[in-house]
Amino acid sequence: MGFLAPWFLAGLAALAVPVFVHLLRKHVTIPRPVSSLMFFERGTQSSTRHRRLRYLLLFALRFALLLLIVLAFANPFVRRPATDTAGHLSLIVLDDSFSMRAGTRFADAKQQALQLLATKPHSQKAQVMTLGGQLQMLTQPISDEAQLHSAIESIQPGDGRANFGEFGRSVRAMAEMVHVPIDVHLFSDMQRTAMPANFAEMVMPASATLILHPIANGTPLPNWTVESVSAPAELEDPKDPRQSRVQAVVAGFSTPATEKTVTLVVNGKVAATRKVNVPASGRASVEFAPLGMGYGFNRCEVRLENHDAFPADDASVFAVRRSDPERVLFVRAANDTRATLYFSSALSAAAQGAYVLQPMAAEQTTDIDASKYAFVVLSNAVSLPSIFEHTLEQYVSKGGSVLIALGPGARSHMRIPLWAGDVKDTHDYARNGAAATVGQVDFTHPALEQAQPGRDNGGWAETKFFYAVTVDPQHARVAARLSDGTPLLLDRRMGEGHILLLTSGLENLTNDLPLHPVFVAFVDKMARYLSGSDALSGSRLVDSFVQLRSATEPKGEVASVEVIDLDGQRPLSLAEARTAQTFRLQRAGFYQIRFANGRDAIIGVNPDRRESDLEPIAPDVQQLWSGSKSGAPKQADKIAVADAKSRPISLWWYVMLLALLVALAETAVASGYMGTQREEV
Amino acid sequence: MQRFLNPAVLASISSLDLLAKTVVDGFMAGLHRSPDFGFSQEFAEYRAYVPGDDLRYVDWNLFARTERSYLKRYRGETNSQLAILLDASNSMLYTSGPLKKMDYARFIAASLFYLAIRNQRDAAGLIVFDDEVREYIRPSTRQGQLARLFAGLERAEPRARTDFGKPLQHFQSLLHRRGIVIVISDFYEEPKKIVRAIEPLRFRGNDVVLFHILDPQEVRPVLNAPAILVDLETDQKIEVIPAYAKTTYRAKMEAHIEQLRSRTRGAGMDYQMIVTDQPLDAALREYLTLRQEGN
Repeated sequence: MGFLAPWFLAGLAALAVPVFVHLLRKHVTIPRPVSSLMFFERGTQSSTRHRRLRYLLLFALRFALLLLIVLAFANPFVRRPATDTAGHLSLIVLDDSFSMRAGTRFADAKQQALQLLATKPHSQKAQVMTLGGQLQMLTQPISDEAQLHSAIESIQPGDGRANFGEFGRSVRAMAEMVHVPIDVHLFSDMQRTAMPANFAEMVMPASATLILHPIANGTPLPNWTVESVSAPAELEDPKDPRQSRVQAVVAGFSTPATEKTVTLVVNGKVAATRKVNVPASGRASVEFAPLGMGYGFNRCEVRLENHDAFPADDASVFAVRRSDPERVLFVRAANDTRATLYFSSALSAAAQGAYVLQPMAAEQTTDIDASKYAFVVLSNAVSLPSIFEHTLEQYVSKGGSVLIALGPGARSHMRIPLWAGDVKDTHDYARNGAAATVGQVDFTHPALEQAQPGRDNGGWAETKFFYAVTVDPQHARVAARLSDGTPLLLDRRMGEGHILLLTSGLENLTNDLPLHPVFVAFVDKMARYLSGSDALSGSRLVDSFVQLRSATEPKGEVASVEVIDLDGQRPLSLAEARTAQTFRLQRAGFYQIRFANGRDAIIGVNPDRRESDLEPIAPDVQQLWSGSKSGAPKQADKIAVADAKSRPISLWWYVMLLALLVALAETAVASGYMGTQREEV
Repeated sequence: MQRFLNPAVLASISSLDLLAKTVVDGFMAGLHRSPDFGFSQEFAEYRAYVPGDDLRYVDWNLFARTERSYLKRYRGETNSQLAILLDASNSMLYTSGPLKKMDYARFIAASLFYLAIRNQRDAAGLIVFDDEVREYIRPSTRQGQLARLFAGLERAEPRARTDFGKPLQHFQSLLHRRGIVIVISDFYEEPKKIVRAIEPLRFRGNDVVLFHILDPQEVRPVLNAPAILVDLETDQKIEVIPAYAKTTYRAKMEAHIEQLRSRTRGAGMDYQMIVTDQPLDAALREYLTLRQEGN
């Protein structure tokens, strides 16, 4: 309650008038002369009480009258809750993440959401959204309850991972566009793992009120899951113990120590079974080796037997492609033998690589068809036959990949084949007496990818470079730089393919990289990156994206892509198949994909295993979240929000009506006091 | 003429002489219309002669005309003396209307004096008293007596409180001849004391009349709210509630009047209560009644 004109409350000082007249002022009585008091008796006490009783009623009425008049001028109002205002938006968010499949969580959440919708005022607008891998709007802000009801009914549990940080960002973005107060009703199991690292990311905006409807509280259900599976995407020799094995980690959340049976299923048949002791709320690994798989794509699954409270996460799928070793064309300068040796050794040492190196002098490449090779390496081969160079260009534009290593030969030949630019300069660090080191490494690049690089810059800090050339990066991505800023590794897309440019050699003359262990890892990852075998099999997480074609503008005839989901349906339309660059893997299972470069792939998609931890957010954190508002909004914003959340209703008429009634009563009482007392005969 | 006896009208007449004349003339005019009342100083009645009657009273003129002997009876020459004892205490100042009790008492006294001196040729005197005798005008029929009496009335302004005991001791020494004694007062005293104080006048052969002058508000007081009442004689103040004035006071006042009436009559005196909103003829009738009885 408040006052629209509070300054009129100063009129309350007028209340002192009746107080003074009735209570403070002494009762003045003019003495009345009589002939004699012979027949009179004193009656003071009774008369005083009588007077006080009579006048207190009059005083109360006059006091109330003045009070009501002052209140009427001050124009009091009450705020009605914003739930009945037309401009108020109720945002119904239903968590359809993977963890909602546990027990009856999703059904309960949907039921509660429908109950909330049933209690919604008819005029109030509402919007239905889902919180899975991403916040998805199912309706516009509408007041049609039938549409809202059907929208909620249509929601099915997904395989994505809820992220309250993304949720907070989305609501904040919505609040900036929707200039009405928002009541956010979140129906979720409130998983602790859905919280972002920074609480500020999930804070609601000032104009939004978060109402949590936790579905599962209290002690989380014990749940075991196949947390991770390490399996080769490519398998050339099932008998090779280094490659032909699958390692799985079984994790328990809020579980007692127990023995679990783990099964490897290949193409629907049980290939092997292991028993593993999983400690209480701990992890245990299990290994299957060797793998008996046929040629082509093998759909594999590591499965936990004996279902628990959340059976949906008891399996992890992946695909393994068995094929013969792929050939790699290694084009070198005539006098370059060291590079072949080092590169060949590193490529064969790579655990999951299945490549056969085919060295060839540059002069002999005239009749070579590059499309037969997984990728091509140009080691110090700066002078190529023009026909081979043209072949390589077509090869790359259709999806092939080339690694160019610029050895000392670049010093005499400034042009770089396939690369759009020339050699600008050469750095011979050995002449200066000090070798260059690797200063900056982009570990997110697939060829240099390391999850947690060490303090030695992932092993690159120990390498020394004695020779490097300087090229114009142009539109290429610089993946590594030397300590003097010279680009060391550049990646450039060309059509559907990639060109990696190493500005130094692959031998031990221009650098000592081949002598360091990081060289093997580099060659391994680079080979997989250039061959594209990673994208053809293995496993992905739900809501991850698969790149279907290059981001550059297509040249010539446009090839269609094809995606077949786990139900055998094609989620992409014909138009999308010709234009889509990426595809989002929304559901768990096997996807069959044909890329624009003509390669086929089968990818196993698994839910994010963080969804398997069913422990909810602590109640105090939930309370903190639902009561949190962003930062310190300005006073005007506060007022605006307060105004928006409630509608002031003036009580002026009611107060004036009451004042009128009191005035009538005061008149009646006062006239009764002032009236002439009738003589009783 | 009767309207001139209205006290409210008489209050506008400043001269007591004119006022008394107006009252008495008006009253007398009213009497002529009444066959029951008539009085004469000489002739009373005729009566048939019976042996033994004094022949001096035979009406020989009538005998000569009718040859019958009738005695002509005369009322004796009374030469009565009128003495008015006027209470001039402060309580006589009370009024709830245009006329104070004191003024009303003056009007009565003036009218009685006028009637006695001008009409009856009686001697008239005045004693003004409160707690003592303040003025004494000896009863007389001398020339100018009426003017002196009126002057005495004019000077009789209330001052002190009433005390019947002290002044009435002097009355006996001041009133030597028998006559009519009229006491005009509001008699705020115990009836027993009043009668005891006035009784000796009766014992001396006086015809005593008590004119009890009261204001209407004294008989039936009206209080709309609790009020503080001030005694005009003692300045004492008390707070009185309307309920008391409406019930208990009236009962006490009526008891007082009744007691006074009974005690005075028991003592052979006449009592007449006069409320100041009544016409003045009540007092005059009382006086004339006494005169008639005295003859």
